Amino acid sequence: MIFRSACREALGAPALAMAATFMAFGAAVQAAGLGMGWGLAAGQLVYGMPGQMVLLAAVGAPGGALPAVLGAVAANARFLPMAVALGPWLGPHVRLRFLAMPFIAVTPWAMAMRRLPDLPPADRLAWFLGFALTSWTVAGLSTWLGHLVAPVLDGWILAALLFVNPLYFGTILAGDTRFAPARRAVLCGAVATPLVLLLPASWALLGAGLVGGTVAFLWGQAKERRP
Amino acid sequence: MSSAALALILLILACAGMRAAGLLVAGRLKPDHPFVRWAGSVAQATLTAFVLAAVIAPGGIMASLPLVARVAGLAAAVAILFWRGGLLLPVLGGLAVTLVLAAL
Repeated sequence: MIFRSACREALGAPALAMAATFMAFGAAVQAAGLGMGWGLAAGQLVYGMPGQMVLLAAVGAPGGALPAVLGAVAANARFLPMAVALGPWLGPHVRLRFLAMPFIAVTPWAMAMRRLPDLPPADRLAWFLGFALTSWTVAGLSTWLGHLVAPVLDGWILAALLFVNPLYFGTILAGDTRFAPARRAVLCGAVATPLVLLLPASWALLGAGLVGGTVAFLWGQAKERRP
Repeated sequence: MSSAALALILLILACAGMRAAGLLVAGRLKPDHPFVRWAGSVAQATLTAFVLAAVIAPGGIMASLPLVARVAGLAAAVAILFWRGGLLLPVLGGLAVTLVLAAL
């Protein structure tokens, strides 16, 4: 029951954001001269768009793709804090939580952090798997479709498809600001954003997140200690 | 095996390793543990930086959308969110504003 309801929930705005982004990725893979298999493996098994894009951009570069792996790993390094933050909300059975492992990515994580605290602990893993499997399936189908229709898409349509992603996450973050800890993290993340332009590209996002997130956390700790 | 395929396999293994390591650490902690709260704060701040960087200074093909269209699109999405709630309507509204301004 909760699994099916989570599947339905994933088919609204989250599916739109996933479909647009992964379709654009599939088209970019085709434009880079790589096959459908490479695109599907990247979309489904890496399942983290910044790292996918860093690697894809390096495929045509003079040094080849191998030197870019470290940069792509750094671009997706947010998986580590995301899994740490999500894990305790995935129900009481620690071993079963690993069923969720392949699906830990921004879209399911952002929705799960909003929804799971309000659900009974026994329902949380089923909700996450329903939501995440649906998002993951949409991502795969969209990658396939993007690869297929790439020759007829022009640059302007690709740009619009890619822009759905920041719009979607921006909306989620704005909604989360009604909670004080999230409000502090969003505010400090925004103040730290200029670091993205100053740090080396592969570490830029994580660097800004580490600085902004740590300051937000310490701010929250200081507020709690105050009588 | 081509270098593109080998690079992809290495990236897949590294991403699986980061997710597994996070779940392993989280297995011993409660949701209100300071380390879990710190990790959540870092993940949320990272996502904020990703959104703002993509709107203000995007790389690649997204840069072909004018800055004013990107900023107004995000502002419209947030305004619709606080006005009507939901997620789909704000995202579609924001995208519509972006596309109209980009077309002008």
